[in-house]
Amino acid sequence: MTAGDLMGLKMIVNGLSFSYGSALVLEGVALTIAEGDFVGIIGPNGSGKSTLLKILAALLKPAQGSVILDGRELRRWSRLDLARRIALVAQERGAGFNFLVEEVVAMGRYPYQGRFSAMGEADRRAVERAMHLTGCYQLRERELFSLSGGERQRVILARALAQETPCLLLDEPTSFLDIGYQVELLELLQSLNNREKLTVVMVMHDLNLASRYCRKLFLLHQGKIHACGDPAGVLNRENILAVYRTEVLIEPHPLGGSPQVIPISAKNLPGKTAYSGPVHLIGGGGSATPVMNELFIKGFPLSAGVLSAGDSDWAAARRLGLSMVEEAPFSPIREDRHRDNLGLIERSSAVVLAPLFVGPGNLLNVEAAGHALKQGLPVFVIDEPSIAARDFTGGRASLLYAELKEKGAVFVSRLDLLQLMKRDNGDGAILSHS
Amino acid sequence: MRGRRLFFFTALLFLAVVVLIFAMATGAVDIPFKTVLAVLLNRLFSIPAANTDPTMEVIIAQIRLPRVILGFFVGASLAVAGVAFQGLLQNPLADPYTIGVSSGAALGATASMLLLPAAGIGSFYAVPLFGFAGALIALFTVYQLGRVGGRLPVVTVLLAGVVISSFFSALISLSMIAAGEQMRNIFFWLVGGLGFKGWPYVTLISLCFSPGLALLLYKSRDLNLILLGEEEALSLGVEVERTKKIVLVAASLVTAGAVSISGMIGFVGLIVPHAVRILIGPDHRFLFPASVLGGGIFLTITDTFARSVLAPVELPVGIVTAFLGAPFFIFLLRRHREKYRF
Repeated sequence: MTAGDLMGLKMIVNGLSFSYGSALVLEGVALTIAEGDFVGIIGPNGSGKSTLLKILAALLKPAQGSVILDGRELRRWSRLDLARRIALVAQERGAGFNFLVEEVVAMGRYPYQGRFSAMGEADRRAVERAMHLTGCYQLRERELFSLSGGERQRVILARALAQETPCLLLDEPTSFLDIGYQVELLELLQSLNNREKLTVVMVMHDLNLASRYCRKLFLLHQGKIHACGDPAGVLNRENILAVYRTEVLIEPHPLGGSPQVIPISAKNLPGKTAYSGPVHLIGGGGSATPVMNELFIKGFPLSAGVLSAGDSDWAAARRLGLSMVEEAPFSPIREDRHRDNLGLIERSSAVVLAPLFVGPGNLLNVEAAGHALKQGLPVFVIDEPSIAARDFTGGRASLLYAELKEKGAVFVSRLDLLQLMKRDNGDGAILSHS
Repeated sequence: MRGRRLFFFTALLFLAVVVLIFAMATGAVDIPFKTVLAVLLNRLFSIPAANTDPTMEVIIAQIRLPRVILGFFVGASLAVAGVAFQGLLQNPLADPYTIGVSSGAALGATASMLLLPAAGIGSFYAVPLFGFAGALIALFTVYQLGRVGGRLPVVTVLLAGVVISSFFSALISLSMIAAGEQMRNIFFWLVGGLGFKGWPYVTLISLCFSPGLALLLYKSRDLNLILLGEEEALSLGVEVERTKKIVLVAASLVTAGAVSISGMIGFVGLIVPHAVRILIGPDHRFLFPASVLGGGIFLTITDTFARSVLAPVELPVGIVTAFLGAPFFIFLLRRHREKYRF
């Protein structure tokens, strides 16, 4: 069949506003949903995402603006016609728990049946198919209340599928499910979306699941669309910080690469510590990554240098968005990069020398720590394993370390360093220029 | 489930016939079943009855038959209304009394006995008509109080019902104190009874019962869907708010018919729906017809007991329903409590 003509579904939302009483919940929302889309509506609590979904499902009427489905305004659709185009899996549940699974799924045929007519052949097929797809065929003789939360959600989804609509709206479908059921449900939706071009629009709380399964995200913030597009474009640190007021890391999913959001802390945002300037990290080859992450989480503003492009300290610093001086991979530190590094050091309030391996190419990094001491900055040297084991310069690095110690650098273990810095967070005594 | 439903439905139907005949045979004067059957067959199908006692014939046709049928109707009405209110309000404790409609009917009936003492109980129509008016006033008030911006949220309807119910009960108590001589009449009417009511009352109650039941059956599928969640019901094409209004009005009509004729007969509307639900499941398309039978059977049995146990003195049937109903309900609840869900 010419699926495009018959099934083609298009929803256009324009200038949508809605308020509960005097509280404006949605304001000027515009979006388009086309057939085959897999859309996630995300946003913090109270951002209006459920309200938006309810308007798309025609449960609420917009105060202003329009929702146009297949060229006709939503409010001009009859309930029954609409029920053949859009199915809904809502969050709210009624009390009718001792219906049998089969009876519940069969209710999905309501829009196709006469008031007193029995189930026809097409109805029965749709019901069985929906039960098979969602894996609740074996449950069909069970009563709804006897099922677990995950099974119940599958039954409700089966009912929505039995409705045989080209579009499915879901309001936080995974919120009461454990991680196994969450993935199962979303993969079912994904396969329906792939195989049958089922249009899926869902409100999601879990950003990572939304990122993994949705092809398009709408990020709502205070009733407006803050960002929209593919997950990589929407889920970035700036957007999350602006909307959720939370500092996060964005990491690609190890399989598939969708951006995954890792929250750090809502409280210790950079710029809220007692220190005026950043803490400068000298490292390389992954030696600085643990301390970098720990200080970052504690809320210290950080800088770093000189790091070789592509090495793991460099990657970590980039991920955290630190200002840093970088050098080409596997190249000795050039003089201008060293000077840039000294520049960063001079703008910092303390320097941490990570337990890096030292060779002729990066000896300048150890010298940079000496420069910091001359500037009167506190220098913390993490010397475990000790420099003897890390010295590949024929002893020159070890000499520099001895000199650092003599001139007042504090040799600490990584854990002690964190303790020192935490204790110091109040008065800044150790980090003060002394 | 289908087999189970069919079995219990047939069983209820059979039981209803047996109970009705048994009820007609029992009373101050015991009549043999054979005679009852003969008279019934004669009346219904004009099959000539051989040598029956004409007194018996009068007792059966003019006294027992209308009473038994009236009792069956009242029981059926209360049970059906109970099913509707429990479903509509999604509350297993709801019954025709929760919503305030029966208090309205009772207040109307009380008013008629106070204001028209000359007519009083003797007048066939004054009490039920006033009762019906009271029920409608209560319904209208609950409807207005419970409505929020064109919608009928379950919680506000329930609250409004409870408030109106208490308020009207207080008014009834007040008028009983003011009633003086009439107090006894009002009291007996309130505790519920089916005595001294003939065929006209049967006509009256069927006028409320039939359209009410028809509306409820018409909306039974919609009610099922609403019970699983209003939002999804809407998205399945159910006109949720209209359905709720229709069910509310239909159930109130049925309640008003029963209460304005027989007074406040408690427990039927609460326990029969639960018992029937345990037997045949929660589907309202079957629940309503089965409750007609279940409620009818229950009230026929209790009324027969009420008028024969201390014969010739009649106990108010409302007392008997509570007496028999409470232990029966406790029995059901204990047997099914782990399985029982609304």
